[in-house]
Amino acid sequence: MLDTMREIETPEGVSLRLRAAGAFGRAQAWLLDFLLRALFFLVAMSICSAFGRGGAGLAALLLFALTWVYSVVCEVWFGGQTIGKRAVGLRVVCADGTPVTLIPSVVRNLLRVVDALPVLYGVGLVCTMIDPSARRIGDIVAGTLVIHADDLPAGSKVPIVPSQRLPVPLDPDEQAALIEFAERAAQLTLERQEELAHILEPLTRREGTAAVTQIAAYANGLLGRP
Amino acid sequence: MKQQQFVALHAEEWDALRFWLAQLDRQPQVAMRSERALDFPASYRRVCHHLALAQARGYSREVITQLQQIVQMGHRQLYRPPAPRWHKVAIFLLSDFPRLVREQWRCMLAATILLYVPAIVTYVLLQWRPELAHSLFSATQLSTFEKMYDPANVNLGRSSGTDLQMFGHYVMNNVSIAFRTFASGLLFGVGAVYVLTANGVIIGGVAGHLNAIGYGAPFWRFVVGHSGFELTAMVIAGGAGLQFGLSLLAPGRLRRETALREAAWRGAQLALGAFAMLLVAAFIEAYWSSISALPNIVKYGSGAAIWLLVLFWLVRGGRESDHAA
Repeated sequence: MLDTMREIETPEGVSLRLRAAGAFGRAQAWLLDFLLRALFFLVAMSICSAFGRGGAGLAALLLFALTWVYSVVCEVWFGGQTIGKRAVGLRVVCADGTPVTLIPSVVRNLLRVVDALPVLYGVGLVCTMIDPSARRIGDIVAGTLVIHADDLPAGSKVPIVPSQRLPVPLDPDEQAALIEFAERAAQLTLERQEELAHILEPLTRREGTAAVTQIAAYANGLLGRP
Repeated sequence: MKQQQFVALHAEEWDALRFWLAQLDRQPQVAMRSERALDFPASYRRVCHHLALAQARGYSREVITQLQQIVQMGHRQLYRPPAPRWHKVAIFLLSDFPRLVREQWRCMLAATILLYVPAIVTYVLLQWRPELAHSLFSATQLSTFEKMYDPANVNLGRSSGTDLQMFGHYVMNNVSIAFRTFASGLLFGVGAVYVLTANGVIIGGVAGHLNAIGYGAPFWRFVVGHSGFELTAMVIAGGAGLQFGLSLLAPGRLRRETALREAAWRGAQLALGAFAMLLVAAFIEAYWSSISALPNIVKYGSGAAIWLLVLFWLVRGGRESDHAA
């Protein structure tokens, strides 16, 4: 189906589906984190300055913690999410879908040095665009993956219409294609919807807009709606 | 079995497991104390079985997605890493880290040469032709150095600032350099080579210049205490970067990706060790090295003791004792 989907087989013999997060969401999360840390640092600076010169030392220690330690601590002890990632709904996991551990997290965060080259994560951006699961260099080397944390319940965006049973049984893949069409039809122009629905003419036995509605009805049936 | 029957038969277990997993996210302690915690692995495996059945029998997407979500939540909990323990930190620092440094002795040796040879060459050069210092550093930099190590200064090695201020400054600066050295090793080791050589030249230049103008005594009295930890940590961070870059250039019998991943694993551990060493170095530098009132014998004696301690730790740490059966 979607090319950002990674299927991972668990030791129990079933496959997990991880949805890799793209560059845009990750940049959003990073920006949020950056602003948050900058704000925190400014507030702390103004408090530290009350302690005179020693305060400058405390501020330097804080800057160190915010630059190098913050991401690692958040990822390892708070479920793979910094505050920014939590807000955007992303999570760092190991390539096998298990929670990220200390050393991979250290690697991926230290290699921000390379990813941030030449300016503003230029290398990282190019790398996320080339890599099929949108990993930056730090992720590739550390063997980690940034995924969407909250799985959308599939089919929640299918418009609600009275459901109909399919006249013939379909494969799971075919069912998924029907549901995903119903989900995303609203993003397409009417002509394109009809054009795509026309492919299923042998199933729907309808033409034009009626075929689109018919597929939505089937999708509702597949989702177990009344 | 029809889908409705299947769902009716197992829905209760699914809901219970999902509820418990959600609770585990929110209140881990309460969830772990409840009765269901004991049943979790078995219950999780049953749900995995249900998912496999549902997929094989072609049940509707709704059921499969629901099961997949439960499995995903369960997988995250069942295979989560063990909680970190403090004694592991001690074991790492006392034995694993020195062992790793010895295992990578070739890269460490190369890093030592890359740091010390430029330093010594610059130092000797500045004794011979002191005016070369002006082509290495700007006039402001030179006057800062001279002010820091002025024999008339009360505090050694700094023009102003309190102990705490300097401690924070050293941590931020030195550890950032060490981390960058390791990470920039990814560029085929070029970054690590550059940082090591550049630092060697700067260290040799400062030492050479101060010695040439007769400020040698305060300089050596200042650096002798923390140099054991600081220079060795720089060498280790550099060596970590070199072996990182080398894994890309000469992966040996492994695929490049695998070689790189293993080198990164080792490098991160080395960088963490160097981080610990630099914390100690910064502490010594801020609170001990700057005291100027101590007699030479204490200064140089403690410095030598720290150097010996570092070398003994790295050479012997984590080695099986000879008398072990």
